[in-house]
Amino acid sequence: MSVKALVRKIHDYLYEIPPQGRMRVPARLFVDERALRELTEQSSQEWNALEQLKNVATLPGIQKAAMAMADIHPGYGFPIGGVAAFDPKEGVISVAGVGFDINCGVRCLRTTLAREDLEGKEEQLADTMYQVIPAGLGSTGELKLNTKEIDRVLREGAHYAVSLGYGREEDLTYIEETGRLPDADPSVVSNTAKQRQLAQVGTLGSGNHYVEVQVVDQIYDAEAAEAYGLELGQIVIMLHTGSRALGHQIGTDYLPFLDKATKKYGIEVPDRELVCAPIDSPEGRQYYRAVMAGANCAFANRQVLTHLVREAFWKALRVPDTAIETLYEVAHNTVKFEVHEVNGERKRLLVHRKGSTRAFGPGRPEIPERYRPVGQPVLVGGTMGTASYILRGTEQGMRETFGTALHGAGRAKSRRAAKKAYPADEIVRRLREQGIIVRAHGKASISEEAPGAYKDVDHVVDVMCKAGIVARVARLRPIICLKG
Amino acid sequence: MPYEYLEHQADVGLEATGATLEEALRDGVTGLLNLLVDVETVEPREEVPVQASAEDPGALFVSLLNAVLAAIDLRGMFFREFRLTRAGQIDGQWVAEGVLVGEPIDLSRHAVEIEVKAATYGGFLAEHTDQGWRFRCVLDL
Repeated sequence: MSVKALVRKIHDYLYEIPPQGRMRVPARLFVDERALRELTEQSSQEWNALEQLKNVATLPGIQKAAMAMADIHPGYGFPIGGVAAFDPKEGVISVAGVGFDINCGVRCLRTTLAREDLEGKEEQLADTMYQVIPAGLGSTGELKLNTKEIDRVLREGAHYAVSLGYGREEDLTYIEETGRLPDADPSVVSNTAKQRQLAQVGTLGSGNHYVEVQVVDQIYDAEAAEAYGLELGQIVIMLHTGSRALGHQIGTDYLPFLDKATKKYGIEVPDRELVCAPIDSPEGRQYYRAVMAGANCAFANRQVLTHLVREAFWKALRVPDTAIETLYEVAHNTVKFEVHEVNGERKRLLVHRKGSTRAFGPGRPEIPERYRPVGQPVLVGGTMGTASYILRGTEQGMRETFGTALHGAGRAKSRRAAKKAYPADEIVRRLREQGIIVRAHGKASISEEAPGAYKDVDHVVDVMCKAGIVARVARLRPIICLKG
Repeated sequence: MPYEYLEHQADVGLEATGATLEEALRDGVTGLLNLLVDVETVEPREEVPVQASAEDPGALFVSLLNAVLAAIDLRGMFFREFRLTRAGQIDGQWVAEGVLVGEPIDLSRHAVEIEVKAATYGGFLAEHTDQGWRFRCVLDL
C-alpha cells in the first residue's frame, strides 16, 4: 500500500500514520496538506523522512508517537525535526536521536541598540565580526585548552567559560539547563574526542552554523515580547553552533559501541543507524553520560562565542559589553530526562530531540522566572535572506509534542543541488540589494545555505502556530550574516 | 566510477566500489578528501599514518572515514591523497591501515569545500560479490 493511502488526517496541520508492521506507536506529522504531498512524493526515494519517522516508531519503549515538526526533512536514522520520548525502564537511547553535533543550538542576544544606531556602520561591524569570530573548516579558537581544562568544559559547560571570563553569570540563567548538565562524565569521553576539541572551543564551524545581526521587524504578542525584553526596531543577534569536533567524535565512538549493545540486548532495528541500548543498561547509561559531556561542550562553545560577539561590537562600535544580554538559548540535538503527562499520568521520560527545539509552555519550572508566565522562548533560525522568529511554548505543545517545536526552516534542496543552482557571488549581490551583508570564510557555504535551499520559514512557522504547538512573539529580519 | 556522491536532502551519501576490499576502502577515503577541500590546493609535504578497526567490513569503511576526519583535527592538516597499506581480518577484527599525505592547514591557500561532521551508519550498505566490494554510508554535513 502506498504511504499516502496509510496517512490519516487528524486536522489541517496534523497527520498520522497508524502503527503498521513493527511500528509500536503511530507516526505523527505537524505539516499541512502541501508539505504532506511533498513528503509522500519523496517516499519512493531511498533516504526519505517518512520512512525514517516510521522506523523511529518501531523502537522499544517509545511513548505516544514518533513525531515530526513542520521543518521535517531526511536525516540519518531519525528524521530532522523529530522528537521521540521513551519509558526509562522499557525504552532505548540512540545515537541517531541525538546526532553527531550534540547539543547544536541557537542563542539569541538582545541589545540596547536600535536599527538606526547601526546605520552606515554595517560594513565595519561585519568586517570586525569576521576578524574576531573564528569560523569555517580548519579554524581554531583563541582559547587553547589542555586536557585537564577540557574535562572542566565537559563537566561545567558554560559555567566554566564564564569562570574564565567569557561572558557573565547572568547569561547562565537564560540558557536551557542553565548551560550545564550535571550527569556529564568526562571519563567516558575518549582522548581522541578531547584532543580534537583542544583548539575548537569558541569556533563557529561551517555548514548551517552562523552569527546573524537582526532587527525586530514585527511584534505579535506584546505581553510575551515585554517579558522577553523585545521591541520593534531593536537589534538582536542570533548564533547557531554546537559541540564541534568533540561532539562529532563522541557520536563516532559510540556508534560501534551501541551497535554491539543492540546485538547484545537483541534489539531489532530497521536501519543500522538506529543502533541503541536500553536506557536502563550499563551501555545506555554510559552513552547518556557521554552525551551530557558533549552537550556541556556546546554550552561552553556558545558562551565563548557570546563573548566574542560582544568583543566585536565593542571593537567596531564601542558598544559596551553590558548592552548585549542573553535573551535565551535553545538546544536542537539532545536527549534529556523530562517529566510529561502520558495517559493522564505524570511520567519521567527520556526525550530525544533531533533537529527540534524544546518549547515548554507557561509555568514549567525549567523556564527562567522572568519568562515563566508566558512560556519558554523558542528560537527559530531562518536563512541569510529570510526572517527568523521568536516564538513561545504553549500548554497544547506540552500535551501533544512533549513540549517540542520546530528548529528552523528545514532544508528543501540538497547541498549539491544548491551549489549548482546558486552561485555564491550572485547570492551575496542579491542579499546586498535587500540590505543584508554576508561575510563567509568559504564560498561553498554561501551557495549551500542560500535562501532557496530551504523551505519557506514563514510558512513552516505558520503551520506550527496554527497547530497550536507554539505562538508567535516576534519576527526578526537579517542585517549581517557571518558564515563559516 | 570508484566513488560517487549520492543525493541526500541535507547531507550527502558516499558510495565506493572496488575489485578488492583495499580498492573500495581507498576510493572511499579519496571521495571523502575530495569533498572537504580542493585537493589540488594541498601540497604533499607530510605523511600521517591512519588506522581503523571494526567488527565487519561495512563498519570498517565507516570507521576508516571517521579516522580520517579525526586526523584532520588532531594534526591540523588537510590531505590530498590516501595510500592504503593493509586491509583484512586479523583475530576476528576487520582492520585497515594506511597513510594520509598532505600539509598543515593554510586557509589562505587551501580551497575549503565543506565540513563533514562524521560518517554515519545511515544508508549503510556493504556488499561483497564476484565483481568486488561496494560500501555506502551517509556523511553528516
